[in-house]
Amino acid sequence: MVKEGYRKERLDRGIKARCDSIFMLTSYREILYMLLPRVLPIAALIIIPLVLEVSGQVYWQKVFILACVISLLAMGWDYLASVGLVSLGQALFFGVGAYIAGALNHYLKWPIFLTIPVATLGGALICTLLLAPIIRMRGIYFGMVTLAFPLFFNRIIEATKLCGGTEGLPGLTQFPTIWVATYLIIGALLICLFAFRRIIDTDYGMVLRGIRDNDRAIMASGINIYWVKVQAIFICAAAGAFAGAFMSHHIGIVGMSVFALDMSIMPVAAVVLGGGGTFAGATLGTFILVPLSEFLRAYGTLRIAIYSLVMVVCVVGLPEGIFHYLQRKYHQFDRWVTVEAKE
Amino acid sequence: MSAEVGPILEVKHLMVFFENALALNDVSLEVNEGEIVGVFGSNSAGKTTLMNSISGLIIDIKIKEARRGGERVTVLGEIDYGGENFIDKPPSYRVRKGIGLSRERHPIFRESSVEENLKIAGYLRNGHEVREGIKDVYKLFPALKELKRRRAGFLSGGEQQMLAIGMALMVKPRLLLIDEPLLGLSPAIQADLVRTIREIRQKGVTILLTEQFARPLLPVIDRGYVMENGIIILSGTGRELLENPEVKAAYFGT
Repeated sequence: MVKEGYRKERLDRGIKARCDSIFMLTSYREILYMLLPRVLPIAALIIIPLVLEVSGQVYWQKVFILACVISLLAMGWDYLASVGLVSLGQALFFGVGAYIAGALNHYLKWPIFLTIPVATLGGALICTLLLAPIIRMRGIYFGMVTLAFPLFFNRIIEATKLCGGTEGLPGLTQFPTIWVATYLIIGALLICLFAFRRIIDTDYGMVLRGIRDNDRAIMASGINIYWVKVQAIFICAAAGAFAGAFMSHHIGIVGMSVFALDMSIMPVAAVVLGGGGTFAGATLGTFILVPLSEFLRAYGTLRIAIYSLVMVVCVVGLPEGIFHYLQRKYHQFDRWVTVEAKE
Repeated sequence: MSAEVGPILEVKHLMVFFENALALNDVSLEVNEGEIVGVFGSNSAGKTTLMNSISGLIIDIKIKEARRGGERVTVLGEIDYGGENFIDKPPSYRVRKGIGLSRERHPIFRESSVEENLKIAGYLRNGHEVREGIKDVYKLFPALKELKRRRAGFLSGGEQQMLAIGMALMVKPRLLLIDEPLLGLSPAIQADLVRTIREIRQKGVTILLTEQFARPLLPVIDRGYVMENGIIILSGTGRELLENPEVKAAYFGT
């Protein structure tokens, strides 16, 4: 849209009308402006399961939990991408966590409150050790290796009948009620979301983003980038392994499907849709994609076609990501101004 | 000196905003057929933005920024080239109409050889013309002929600059825009390049170039403009510019 003699001016509320320091407290409107984007997702996550319970949608409760699990993986992916490591194998973290929790519970009869922490930390450690040798690879090469690992584990389990082989490990201890499961995963999701967002804003996060943008400059600043990358993989793997351990106890069985390609692709798609680098975008993306995928089951074989079409439209129409768009619109407003002449 | 046939390029009241920042403020200039015109100014004076606006790259930047939700670029004014307003035309159209651009910091294809680079640059023309064009470029820059099989990324800074100008010449421009031709080159190579620019003009190409320091270019330019913070503060022949004491201290190196 063009208007003769005018141009669009964009005002950034962050500069013009708002402060985020202690002075924010001087006005209730500023407080609301600050709190709304933070309180809204928390409130939504806490209320949605209650709404689903009241309306008796047991199936959608399961979908909600699945979305939370995938969004943990997506946030992990986003975290790794912030260091410049593009992982195509989130299923590795998910699967290792799931199998460790499953094996400890099935063979050693450990209770849930032990298996999940052990699987989270142990799984993260194993994944880090597996990926440590290839940490020097960048871009698509790292992606290819991570893509290969879940397939590798899949076939190993199938061939050696390790951990039950194709049958999987059935009869795992389940959570006492669905409420424990729901609010455990919501808690984990919120902790991850806010912790990751905080980490990426600190000086340590600046190092991470610096490695993504120009790793040689970071090396020249005297920082061991490989050690930082290992730490990033550990954190990402911990989130993924927790999701896996949670899932195996939630459905009470762990099978080869935990290494499925879905678990690798969904997080990437979610981050691309929601907007990378923000973690909230990853969560938003999963909470759009996973329910959409379930909703489209009614359309039978056309499901994947419609699903792909929606994704293409979103990605082409909003390449910056839905969350970036919303964030921008929340902080800025446009207006027409006359073009100023030369002073 | 070639005969002056009237302005080939006329920029009228050009304004470019990056978001709310004013990069070019009411810039008007003209380039006559067969002239070498210099635009001088320090960093952030708006020289590169001016070049991008004339060559049309600003349109591309505008679209890209708008799509990824970045800065909003606003371009206002008129760019009159051959009786046609080019302000909204895409860069490809402007190249076909004879505006060639050599961007700053030697943008070349680093993985390809010198000759391949020239061939890519001559993409719009047919095989016979490309061979002719390459021959012409080698005549202008004999150093490039010896290096034609070398990977362009391994050339020295001066050779890369020669290649960049050669690539811009491959489209047979009527108006050649050169952004910072002397950036980061030693005085000896600068002198060589300035001589070559004069040779290019003798082939009938009109040249508009930008530079931070005008001293090495003074012998060849017909007219010059001095920019500061997006405004043209002074214009005139090379000698007139040189005699202005303020400008002398700031841009010419005393």
